[in-house]
Amino acid sequence: MGSIPTRFDVIVVGAGPAGAAAAYHAAKRGFKVLLVERGRGAGSKELYGGRIYVGPLRDVWPGIEKEAPIHRWVVEERLSIIGDGEVATLSYRYSNPVSFTAYLPDLTRWMVSKAEEEGVVFVDEVRVDSLVRDGEGRVIGIRSGPDVAYASVVVDAEGANRLLLERAGIVDALDAKRAPIALGVKEVLKLPKGAIEDRLGLSDGEGLSWLIAGTVTKGIPGGGFIYTFKDTIAVGVVVHLGHSVNAVEAGVLKESVKDLVESIRLHPYFKRLWRDSDIVEYGAHLTVECGLDYMPPHLAYDGLVIVGDAAGLLLNLGYTVRGVDLASYSGMLAAEAIAKAHDLGGMNAENLRVYENMVKESFIYKELVRHRGICWLTKERRFFTSYANILLGILSNLYVQEFKHPTVFEAVKASIRSGGEALLPLIGRILKVVREL
Amino acid sequence: MRVVVGIKWVPNTQAVRFDPRTGTLLREGVPSIVNPHDLVAVEFALELRDKYGGEVIAITMAPPSALKGLEHVIGMGVDRGILITDRVFAGADTLATSYVIAHAIRKIEREIGHVDLAVFGQETIDSSTAHIGAQTASWLGWPYLYYVTKAEPVDGKLIVERTLEDRVEVYELELPAVVAVAMRSRKPRPVRLANKIRAKLEKPLIIWSNKELGLDPRCVGLRGSPTVVAKITFTPEVPRKKKIYRPRSGDDAAHWILKSLLADEKASKILRRILGGEM
Amino acid sequence: MSISDKSERALSIDELLQRNVYDVDDEPHIIVDTEKCLKCRVKPCTLLCPAGCYTLSPDGEILFSYEGCVECGTCRSICPMDAITWNYPRSGRGIYYRFT
Ligand SMILES: Cc1cc2nc3c(=O)[nH]c(=O)nc-3n(C[C@H](O)[C@H](O)[C@H](O)COP(=O)(O)OP(=O)(O)OC[C@H]3O[C@@H](n4cnc5c(N)ncnc54)[C@H](O)[C@@H]3O)c2cc1C
Ligand code: SF4
Ligand code: SF4
Repeated sequence: MGSIPTRFDVIVVGAGPAGAAAAYHAAKRGFKVLLVERGRGAGSKELYGGRIYVGPLRDVWPGIEKEAPIHRWVVEERLSIIGDGEVATLSYRYSNPVSFTAYLPDLTRWMVSKAEEEGVVFVDEVRVDSLVRDGEGRVIGIRSGPDVAYASVVVDAEGANRLLLERAGIVDALDAKRAPIALGVKEVLKLPKGAIEDRLGLSDGEGLSWLIAGTVTKGIPGGGFIYTFKDTIAVGVVVHLGHSVNAVEAGVLKESVKDLVESIRLHPYFKRLWRDSDIVEYGAHLTVECGLDYMPPHLAYDGLVIVGDAAGLLLNLGYTVRGVDLASYSGMLAAEAIAKAHDLGGMNAENLRVYENMVKESFIYKELVRHRGICWLTKERRFFTSYANILLGILSNLYVQEFKHPTVFEAVKASIRSGGEALLPLIGRILKVVREL
Repeated sequence: MRVVVGIKWVPNTQAVRFDPRTGTLLREGVPSIVNPHDLVAVEFALELRDKYGGEVIAITMAPPSALKGLEHVIGMGVDRGILITDRVFAGADTLATSYVIAHAIRKIEREIGHVDLAVFGQETIDSSTAHIGAQTASWLGWPYLYYVTKAEPVDGKLIVERTLEDRVEVYELELPAVVAVAMRSRKPRPVRLANKIRAKLEKPLIIWSNKELGLDPRCVGLRGSPTVVAKITFTPEVPRKKKIYRPRSGDDAAHWILKSLLADEKASKILRRILGGEM
Repeated sequence: MSISDKSERALSIDELLQRNVYDVDDEPHIIVDTEKCLKCRVKPCTLLCPAGCYTLSPDGEILFSYEGCVECGTCRSICPMDAITWNYPRSGRGIYYRFT
């Protein structure tokens, strides 16, 4: 076994948006920081949807708007509900963008370069195998293969697939049937120059975010997404994993998850948008559906703090995912807390729980609690099947008539009947959904 | 022993794509890697050092981005890395490259210490020429052997084994010498945390440009390269699906291979044609 | 190396994975105890692994190949039989994302 002679103040595991922020802010406060990443360079294992809210990131990464590899500022939101042969689309355009699109590998690399400028020792190509504890259970370092590196405190920023926390017995083994997790699968299409602007009605540097609900996920809670980048478009789906397993068991899902993405790419309504495009990448990543239900019992232990996705600090609103900004923000809070714990006399659980309080008092936790109801929604299968059909039915009854047009009420009633739903409970549910959103 | 191992920083060719419309190679965002066969040579050199002591120096002639490759092999345990980088070296073929490498080895001998062995990979994934080892040896006037699988220093000489298809040959080489290590003869060891931290904190990296090497510009880079690439052709790849099966016995393995072949429409047609009535 | 193809047709999983950059490790990072799969009724991995690493042989046995794995962790979270010993690849090997 090789024990590494150099001792660090802080070791951060995982150079994602959370880990990079924790390392950067800890180094800025004068701590000697080691940041360890399993991928080749930073960002090479990162995959997400495509849009990032800039507000909280301004606090974490000064200069982000000027320096970061930003592709487009989102000025238009679209939402489509897809049925068999029908599509309903809602679009909303605004002039003061608050979010941008970027390739997460590039953005993460930028963040880590900032951390390195502050003196962080960044080590890539190294997979951490476990947290190292002393006789009293305090975390004192990390192990990778035969090597152990020691630090006063370890920041766990390993992301949603949290093997280290599992191995340390802090969280349960990942089980799709119990944990609120979803799988995102995505294709990146490269378009001819100018095609994105022409086909989507965007000006230079303007971006669009497009969510898709309905039959694309075969009734599994989840949805599709489309994001625009400089000269590429990302097309993907996110499906709740527990429900996906149920759907396979019930024989409802008979195709591979990759076919769900393919069916959006080849959907007649969408495919004209990326005519003459070349698929340049394909990939998948786990994400958290309901942050509060994914949170470990504590966010800080003796010698350990947990940040980002690993801590369940992700806001999945169904129509939009906020992970990158929350992850980075929690990393910054962790570094502040470490500095406070240092002043209080050491990295024990009691001192480090300052971090837990800081998270609870920040916008992150307040938002998670405020949107708690969304967790119910992501579990509600019917929302993704019959309700989408009912909505499309209403539109079809209203518009697709040859002679006699129904009143709106008639259209609604007829559609609900054919959807096999009772009217009153349905209205109750719709009201609930509206409240949650 | 002081062992110098040459590594090449090559585009990950698996990921390069060919555009038939424009006849160009698409390599946007395709990262470079250390030539996989050179990692086998690094492992070979590290095994010698671990057993007989001394140091391993990795050397590469490449653009500055190749520092990542040197960091990778330092992560595996190489003691230090030398990057030879200069605009005048660009466009070099194997002759001009080996010329520079040979002179760099001479410089190592002058400034760091006596070199006992220079090690190369069998070939590179981006050009498969397998020239560098032999050419370096002839510039240096050192003995050279390829397909080497084993080496052991005995009384100032190197007892070297090479494995050919039908036999194993054993040679005694005068040192210093050059060897090219047989590909797949050993598995490169993984990168280690301790080594990576050392790479970052101690920066055991040297960069030499032609200012330090002082070579005649007519002998290096494009000007020193007599090779002309006439035409690049592309052989379309048939999508392959590798499968791993751990057989319980030889019979089991045969059974599984046959079953998998029969499950494939094309393969089973061919099989049936060959075997005719027997199936 | 693969050919760039702009046609609008459904692609097989192999064709999709060929778009990616991998540096495949010599050793598999995931080990599947396929004995256990024999008793697994639904075999969700065959549909839910986004890289199609789990396929069925003609007589219903699981064939696992790790080379195209995108390291998402889905299989380990859905396997009802605990048949999977899961890890990330070492030395930075495996998938290398660029535009995601
Ligand atoms: C399909 C999908 C769509 C999404 N869409 C959006 C979106 O549009 N906008 C948004 O803001 N967020 C989105 N998110 C969420 C966002 O990607 C995450 O919340 C964010 O990346 C979390 O950051 P993190 O640093 O906590 O974890 P990660 O980004 O997962 O980073 C963890 C890092 O740790 C490394 N690592 C893990 N284990 C080890 C180990 N043992 N040793 C060494 N290194 C290790 C990993 O390689 C990785 O680099 C999406 C996520 C998914 C999956
Ligand atoms: S889910 Fe698990 S047990 Fe079932 S077939 Fe897949 S790997 Fe085997
Ligand atoms: S980790 Fe993901 S991509 Fe890899 S085998 Fe498991 S499900 Fe497939």
